[in-house]
Amino acid sequence: MNRLDALRGTTPQKPHDARAIAALAANPGCARRALLDGAGIDKDAAARHLGFPAPFGQSPFAITRGNVFEALVKADGCAELLRMLRELLGLPIAEVAYHDVENVGAHLRHAHTRALFDRAARDGGDAGTVYDHPLLSLDIAGHTAYLEPDVVAFQLGGRFHIVEIKSFAVIDGQADPSAVAAAARQAAVYVLALRRMLRELGHDPLRVAHDVVLVCPENFANRPVASPLDVRRQLGVLERQLSRMTGLDRLLDGLPADLTFDLLPDEDGLPTRPAAELADALRGATARYAPDCLSACDLCFFCRDEARQEGATDLLGRHVRDELGGVASVGEALGLADGARDPAEGQEEIARLLRNAERLRRECLA
Amino acid sequence: MSDRLDQLEARIDELRAGVRRAMRVKDTATARALRAELRAAERSWDTLVTGGLDGSPRVPDGAPQGLVTVREQAHQALTLLGAPAQPRLIAAVGEAFLGGTLRGSQLTSLRRDEERSFASSPYGRPYYLCAALTDRLAPARGLLTVSTWPLERRMVGPLSPRVDFLTCAIAVARHLSPDPRAARLLARMARNIPGGAAGDLGPPDPDRVIEAAANELAVHAERDTRDRADLAERATSQLDDRARLFGGTTLITVAGAAATAANGGAPTGPPAGPYVLGAPDKGAGATAARTKTRNTPTRGRR
Repeated sequence: MNRLDALRGTTPQKPHDARAIAALAANPGCARRALLDGAGIDKDAAARHLGFPAPFGQSPFAITRGNVFEALVKADGCAELLRMLRELLGLPIAEVAYHDVENVGAHLRHAHTRALFDRAARDGGDAGTVYDHPLLSLDIAGHTAYLEPDVVAFQLGGRFHIVEIKSFAVIDGQADPSAVAAAARQAAVYVLALRRMLRELGHDPLRVAHDVVLVCPENFANRPVASPLDVRRQLGVLERQLSRMTGLDRLLDGLPADLTFDLLPDEDGLPTRPAAELADALRGATARYAPDCLSACDLCFFCRDEARQEGATDLLGRHVRDELGGVASVGEALGLADGARDPAEGQEEIARLLRNAERLRRECLA
Repeated sequence: MSDRLDQLEARIDELRAGVRRAMRVKDTATARALRAELRAAERSWDTLVTGGLDGSPRVPDGAPQGLVTVREQAHQALTLLGAPAQPRLIAAVGEAFLGGTLRGSQLTSLRRDEERSFASSPYGRPYYLCAALTDRLAPARGLLTVSTWPLERRMVGPLSPRVDFLTCAIAVARHLSPDPRAARLLARMARNIPGGAAGDLGPPDPDRVIEAAANELAVHAERDTRDRADLAERATSQLDDRARLFGGTTLITVAGAAATAANGGAPTGPPAGPYVLGAPDKGAGATAARTKTRNTPTRGRR
């Protein structure tokens, strides 16, 4: 791991949160992101220093709205939540025990969470039902990240369910697919963390259900509604991505030995490294830009700018890039299409397709 | 009452200064308005100092309730509910039944003020708004209680949040008034009690809510009563007067002292409680605390 510390340099390490870990799973092919996250580099600070600040972070209004909704769901001993769990999972009436893990001081919360879950897994139904704000941990490339799911529910059936409270509305049974996907990725991080904890404690990790409970406001009112969400696919992606991160050595081997992404912060934490030098260092690690990055990565504008300068096909989205396999830039694709360029070896097939497309386009325009 | 008087005196001084300033710049209109306010404040000071000694402010029905302090309003709401409650619920009850203008956010610093007042002159007030105690005899997050209640009622076992909710629902149903805000509050509570609401539409039937809540209460009552009695016994034997009202030493101080004493050793558990730390993970403390503070801006927790 010394190599990763060297990459980070003197900049303090940035702890991962569930959102960041979930975003990892969104673009598994990006070596730049894998390295930066593996080394715990503050991507936001780097992007700002480079002059490409990301339009990132939630708006304060969204945060307030989220908190108000969460307080509503959890008010009066999770009264609303218990109703929904009773309807959705068939929670028995007697199962109402509520543990607020946040009553414990922040530094003991993780140990307390472990003790509570150990007891619940051992004693079965008698131990508790709803755990508010437990603190889980997950090892990311040698660093421990602490995560805080909204609620964990434990049912008599002996299974733990992660409950994720989100404030986007479910209207007529439909919700914004990208918001649901983000929630599912985030919940998968919690499921994984809880499973690892149970395994460490010597219990069956599969006692954490892969069905998470998503609680959202229903229609145009503030009334919460719960729906089950299967996160098996997200779990698979996440596990693969995390195991890749532990295998960062392979990525590191391909880098020059003196490469560093250090911002060289002064006493006030302001970066002193010349931006151009940092940009050169970052270009040393290949990125895999896709338009989706704009909603998931702090460095998105930097990578987009880079992709634009190179005229890379990445700009056109993943689908187009995959279709144009073997053709690196937009200029090259256009050259192949109008015959100005001879296809290299292995490009005959795509060149034929592009020429056909160009012919069709001309016929349409004529 | 003395804090109310202090408040009024400060206000009177402020108004007098304001009148003087207005006169100096010859702004007669403002001066007239300020003097009217000054006279009103002096009148309330008079009534308080002569007649308000019994401690119960007499507020005529339907009159603006500006003179009932936040503390008193919270006390009335809690007495009506008869169980530990969150500021949100207290505010809703105050609005629905007592015509109050209470807002949940006004209650946040109340407990700390009460603790300070108790520390400077113990039992100087007829009642205190104090904390509910968790199974580690620490103050429970966001719950208010009244010091005159029996200790058992102020304890929070695992089942207690639900039991308290049902108790509050029954109290609200019993006091149901024709006020639409009261009906709305009851409807919201009834929805979360199995068999409490007939359907989504129409006003809730108080008798039905009481019956449904009592049915569920019967399921939890035995275990909850036992838990609370155990906790109350422990609180009586282990805590001093102040801690019994406002919660035992917070774990942060205990563990912090232990950590400095043992030089980074395992933080000791709470002074009381069956809870044993399995294997405290090294250094998790500091890191977790840091993670938490870093998370605060994004999660924006209270």
